Amino acid sequence: MLRKTLTDDTFYLNMGPQHPSTHGVLRLLLRLDGERIVECEPVLGYSHRGHEHMAQTRSYLRFMPNPCRMDYLAGLMYNHAYCLAVERACGIEAPPRAQFIRVICAELNRISSHLLWFGAYLLDLGGFTPFLYAFDDREDVLSILGEITGSRLTYSYCRFGGVARDLTPKFIELTKAFIPKLRVRLKDYDTLVSKNVIFINRTKDVGVITKEQARDYSVTGPNLRACGVPHDQRRCEPYSVYPEIDFEVITADGANGEGDCYDRYLVRMQEMEESLRIVEQALQRLPEGPIRAKGVAQEPAPPPGAYQYCYESARGMLGIYLVSDGSRVPVRMKWRTPSFSNLSILPILLPGTLVADTVAILGSLDLVIPEIDR
Amino acid sequence: MSQNESLAVILESSPQVTQLRRASRENDGFDFSLSIEPKGIPELARMLKDQGFFLEYLTAVDYGQTMELVYSFSKWIEPDRVQAVCPAWPMEAAPSICGVFPAANWQEREVFDMFGLEFKDHPDLKRLLLIQEEGLHPLRKDFVAGPQHSGDVVETEMV
Repeated sequence: MLRKTLTDDTFYLNMGPQHPSTHGVLRLLLRLDGERIVECEPVLGYSHRGHEHMAQTRSYLRFMPNPCRMDYLAGLMYNHAYCLAVERACGIEAPPRAQFIRVICAELNRISSHLLWFGAYLLDLGGFTPFLYAFDDREDVLSILGEITGSRLTYSYCRFGGVARDLTPKFIELTKAFIPKLRVRLKDYDTLVSKNVIFINRTKDVGVITKEQARDYSVTGPNLRACGVPHDQRRCEPYSVYPEIDFEVITADGANGEGDCYDRYLVRMQEMEESLRIVEQALQRLPEGPIRAKGVAQEPAPPPGAYQYCYESARGMLGIYLVSDGSRVPVRMKWRTPSFSNLSILPILLPGTLVADTVAILGSLDLVIPEIDR
Repeated sequence: MSQNESLAVILESSPQVTQLRRASRENDGFDFSLSIEPKGIPELARMLKDQGFFLEYLTAVDYGQTMELVYSFSKWIEPDRVQAVCPAWPMEAAPSICGVFPAANWQEREVFDMFGLEFKDHPDLKRLLLIQEEGLHPLRKDFVAGPQHSGDVVETEMV
């Protein structure tokens, strides 16, 4: 795509693979005309670990620890999605209590993922203080999840047909204390950041994605909802206990069908409030009962066929496409990860902007590179 | 006529579709599964795009003797999911759908990378994730992981 010999005054700049604002190992090959970007080509593969190859060479159970290592910031959601996909293929249904527990944990995980994004994004833009606050809150979430799952980031908590451990009284106590605390903090963030002139100038009308571009490049998640499209897998194709729970699908105003970096910020901040509402309701309605379905083989062999499962992860639509031949090892397991498509729009967003805006635009897409490379 | 039914009529009447199977969203995860010849793919993609679909993903499956390409299309807000399956190997290469869905650009590069399948008229078909090594297509069934792959990183051009 990029020409090697340059005949004009433009020059190439490699941004990454070790650049603090690329959040992992992503290399952006930029062609610059002074401070302006002429062309951009992302170069991937620095953290490719062959997860899809591992999936088709081992049994379903032995693949269990892998999904949470693709997106290490929303590991529990990937773990949840993987169990749901295998359960669909095998025709297993988890008992209600397990489903509620999974949703509580997944939503707490979404909050921790968005909090990290919030802190790191503000840090990218030069504001150090919000980062410390966000990590303080995130630490609370990680302790809560650690209390029940035993790990901080890479959770293998769900099981086929249930979850590994029941909720403890301490977990419930910590979560109930955390909800009002974060609500106060979210108000603080709003007054501290949302009306900050420097922040607004750095993000308003920067990195504008139109609805048409979002469709062309299969953008999903908060990035799509910032364009005013209320597309959320939790509502469009409800799974688990989401149909019983009352929550809003957050979109930015998007009257003109466009979303800029500021809209994407607003969507994520409001989504955290909705996640708190979901956790609150799920805790209230938490039924008694078993946490694992009876008689479920932990080494499952789904009937032959192709199955798909779509899940709303913190970054957008996570799709698992699973082909089984009736044995304990899948023929193929494709992971459609949201950041992959969300990053592919970057080459059309960057041309014409300044190098400093690259950081603002790249950060606003909320990318996790190991999830792209798999 | 429900939305789902009208889509079925459109799909049934399109000449590229050789076989249409209704699936259940509840059990399979998609509404329609259709078989198609490689040359009909761009036409189908364009038709679905006009209906408001976007390309969820594109991938391949290796069954040992044959390989298939799998395209998944879906809609925003009220998803109707259509899965198109087309034979990919040992047949001739399928045409690229980058012109219809730019999202397919990277997806096709990934399939090329992992399976060694080519796409006709792709603007820049090169590896996406892996290093430059002859015959390194790890998602093929005949691929054997092991020391024959040196793992030496051949430096991609830094320009």
